[in-house]
Formats: sequence, structure tokens, C-alpha cells
Amino acid sequence: MIKSRHLRLLLGVPAVALIFVFMILPITNMVEMSFRVPGAVDPFGDDYTLMHYARVFGDGFYWNVLVRSLLTAAGVAILCLIVSFPIAWHLSKASGMKAALLYALIASPLMTGVLVRNFGWMIVTALNGPLNESLIALGIISQPLRLLFTQTLVILALVHVFVPFMVLPINNALRNIPDNLVEASVSMGASRYRVFRDIILPLSFPGIQPGLILVYVLAVAAYVTPALLGGQMVTYMPTLIIAELTGTFRWPLGSALAIMLSLSTILVVGVFTALTWRLMERARA
Amino acid sequence: MSGTATMFAHQRPVGLGFAVLIALLYVFLLVPLVTIVGASFTAGLLIEFPPRGFSLQWYREFFARRDLVDGLLLSLRIGAITAVVTTVVATMAALCGQVLSGRKSGWFQLGMTLPLLVPELLTAVGLLFFLFKIGLGKTVLGLQMGHILMSFPYAYVSITAALRQVPASLDEASASLGATQWQTFRMVILPLIMPGVVMGAIFAFINSFDLYTISLLLKPLGGNTLPLALFDFLTYEFKPTAAAAATISIVLSVIGVALVQKLVGLQRAF
Repeated sequence: MIKSRHLRLLLGVPAVALIFVFMILPITNMVEMSFRVPGAVDPFGDDYTLMHYARVFGDGFYWNVLVRSLLTAAGVAILCLIVSFPIAWHLSKASGMKAALLYALIASPLMTGVLVRNFGWMIVTALNGPLNESLIALGIISQPLRLLFTQTLVILALVHVFVPFMVLPINNALRNIPDNLVEASVSMGASRYRVFRDIILPLSFPGIQPGLILVYVLAVAAYVTPALLGGQMVTYMPTLIIAELTGTFRWPLGSALAIMLSLSTILVVGVFTALTWRLMERARA
Repeated sequence: MSGTATMFAHQRPVGLGFAVLIALLYVFLLVPLVTIVGASFTAGLLIEFPPRGFSLQWYREFFARRDLVDGLLLSLRIGAITAVVTTVVATMAALCGQVLSGRKSGWFQLGMTLPLLVPELLTAVGLLFFLFKIGLGKTVLGLQMGHILMSFPYAYVSITAALRQVPASLDEASASLGATQWQTFRMVILPLIMPGVVMGAIFAFINSFDLYTISLLLKPLGGNTLPLALFDFLTYEFKPTAAAAATISIVLSVIGVALVQKLVGLQRAF
């Protein structure tokens, strides 16, 4: 029995090696890279320096881009929650074939590449595209909206990309709320608003919190959407980092920027988790 | 179910409003995909929706384009290798994770899903430097390793979930009847977890097929995957050929979703 257990543990070696060699080592390596001096010919030199951090933290330009990235991601996460909650609610009440169909509907976009979905928005929001045509037909606007290469479209497309990540955890949390709890409060005369505010919202928080964190972290580091739909006018951290790495080949500076982005993301998530600790505890009780 | 029914039953107008809201949100989810598919069949010369007439000319144009077809072939090849390698490694890892308990099991799970939890951008940047250092920079093999890493958690999560459904008593029964570990796995466990393994392979393939950022940083010289080729095409040409290319990848995803639905049901998949 002891022998078979050891054998089983050995089976994990390739996977651990994969994660360690191709993920942990490279990310550690990136931290080291951020302290390298710039190279004359190669993308980096042999000596170590703090100059990239001094530059990144000392330059207002980088702070501006960082703050824009963090705020945009926060906006995306909140909008995503607003869009996802009704969908999750609807999904959590479905069963059988209907539920299967709805899962497929929500998961299909998840299984389609981000680039493809972003491209779809380019067609939808074109000057003579379906969105402008229908808004004009409905009399809501008279001039077509110019959305392509604006921050608005980047946010819209990011919300669209991340909705499934928010719907699924909230759906799980909603499914865990006992129906009789809602019934009991309705029968005792609670209004629909009170039931939502005092029962459903707090009890679904165990789905809302991880959903918000996941979407925030993914949105902060999203590259494709701002690169395709943001155009040249608006810079975000990921587009800046990739430009440093593939355009100007300043690898140490790019690494320092990536680390600055990661640290500030961890900080935001940490503060958010601490602030919402009480809400999570309440839902568990 | 009944809770909602009572909540909305005596306030019909709100129920109707909610139904309209839900319908609009589903439209929001599907509209970009529907427009792409529609635009790919246009008989006109521009990317537009609704399309002008019906024609397959842009699919012909797609298959006549060397850069796009090469991208498709490279993506299919990398995706297939990724699916095979990740499912084998993930099945082994899932069997290992099964014998761990308590805190160790938690750490193992976390480690195995790390590529999902850390933003792709960071992994991509780290791998760019690392592959360069070990001599795999700008090679197909390096790109392949990046795809295997990024898709591994999908296979691992699917297979672990399937393995959890197998009662431990089967293992013991088979052993007490004299089967070796390998025989037990081959003849008892594997058939039972097969749907989960296939689902893992499908998810790994689709994830690999859709990866962008990591491919951008690790791409070999002159070798574009389909998403990379499509991005370049959109930047410089913006013709309905792009809609045809995108439709091909949407069709692949739909086939994947349908297979998963048939095998295990999406409800269990998520």
C-alpha cells in the first residue's frame, strides 16, 4: 500500500515540472530582468541597477497609464456585475433542458477567442453598423456615434468578454440560497426590494466577491481588446508593456512595468478583500 | 423555483420588464458572434451587417490566402498537440492529487491551476525571457510549451472533477481481486473518467486555439497562429475574409461546446 502511494505521487512529477519550469522560473526570471541594466546590442545588459524602478515610479506618464488601467478595470468589473447579476439570477432559476440551453448560450462566448469577439464589436459599432442604424431608426440619436478606437468601446468589449466569468460564480451562489427563505420573507410581507436587499444580495456575495476579483485581475492585464479597439490614442499598461518588449526591445524596463502593474493589482485586490471580509462572513453565518 | 414564481407572480409588470431585460442581455452576449457569421456570407465588398446578398466568395478568398491558411494549420497543429499532452499529464497529476489530503491537496490544486490564476500577460513576459535564455526563443517548440502550460489547468480541472465521481471502493475491490495498479486504471478507472478526459482535451484545444497574448510574445519568426494572422489582417486590410476566418473559429468552438454538452452536460462542466 505504501509503495502504491509513492507511485501515485510520482505521477504528479511531470505536471509539477511543467508548472515550475515554464511558469515559476520564468516569472522569477522576470523579476531579475527588471533589475538588469539596458543592453547596448542585446535587449538587456549584465549588470544590475534600480534605474528602471526609479524611472517607472518617478515618471508621471507611467503613473497616469497605471491609474487609467486600474480605474478602467474597476469600471469593467462593476459594469460586468450589473450585467451579469440578472443573467445569473435567470440561469439559477432554470432547470433541465432550459438550463442546459442557457449554459450553452453563456458558455459559447467563453469558448470563442477574445480577438474574434472584439472583432464582432468592430462590425456592430461601425458608423453604418447595426448599432448606429437601430439607434437612428429608433430616433434615439440623429448622428451616428463614433465608437471605434474610443475608451467606451474598450470597456464595452471587455465587459462582454468577462460576463461569463461573473455569471458562473454568482449562479452557484444563488443556487445555494434556499427557496423557502425567500418564500418565508415574502409570506411575512417583505417587499420584493427588501427580499433582494436583505436576503438575495448578501447571500450571493460569496459569488460576487470572487467574480469581481477575477474580472478585475483579468481586465487589468487584458491586452488584445485595448490593442485592437483602443487605437493609438489611449494607452493602457498591457499595451505599453508589450510595446516595450516587442517594439523597442527594452526588456528590463518592460519587466519593471509588468511588476509595477502586478503589485498594484495585488494591492487593490488585497484592500478589496479586507474591506469585504465582513460581508463574506455574514453570508457564511 | 417556487420562490421566484411567487415573487414575480403578483407583480406582473415587473416580471415582464425583467423578461425584456434578460432578453436584451442575451442579445448583448450573442450580437458580436451573430454579426461576424452574418458578415462572412456577404456578396458585397465590405464588412457589413446585415450582409448584402449571400455568397461564399470570402471563404474561397480565405483558403486562397497563404498567410491565413498557414495560421489556421499552425493553430490546429499546436492545439492538437496541446490537447494530447495536457490530457496525459493532467490525468497523471489528477491521480496524484487524489492521494494527497488536507493542506497538501489544497496547495497542489492551487499549483496546478496557477496558469489560470496569473494573468496571461505576466506568464507571457516571463516565458519570453526564459525561452530566450534556454535557447528556445522564437521557436515553434517554445510556443508549443507556452500553449501546453496555459491550457493545462483546463484539462486538470475537468479530469479531477471526473475522478472525484469514482468511488474509492472500486479501486480497493479491483486490487483485492488481484489487479495491478495499471490494470485497475486501464480497465476500471479510465473508462469511468473518459468523458472528463475528453472534455479536458476539448477545453485545452479550444483554449490553445484562442490564445493571443502568449502567442504574440513567443511566436516563431514568420510563423503566425490564426489569431495573430487575423489581427494583422484586421489592422491592414479589414475585408470580409476576416469574418470568414473568425466564423471558422466560432464553428470550432460551437462544435466543442456541443460535444461537451453531449458528453457530460455543461452544468457539470462549470
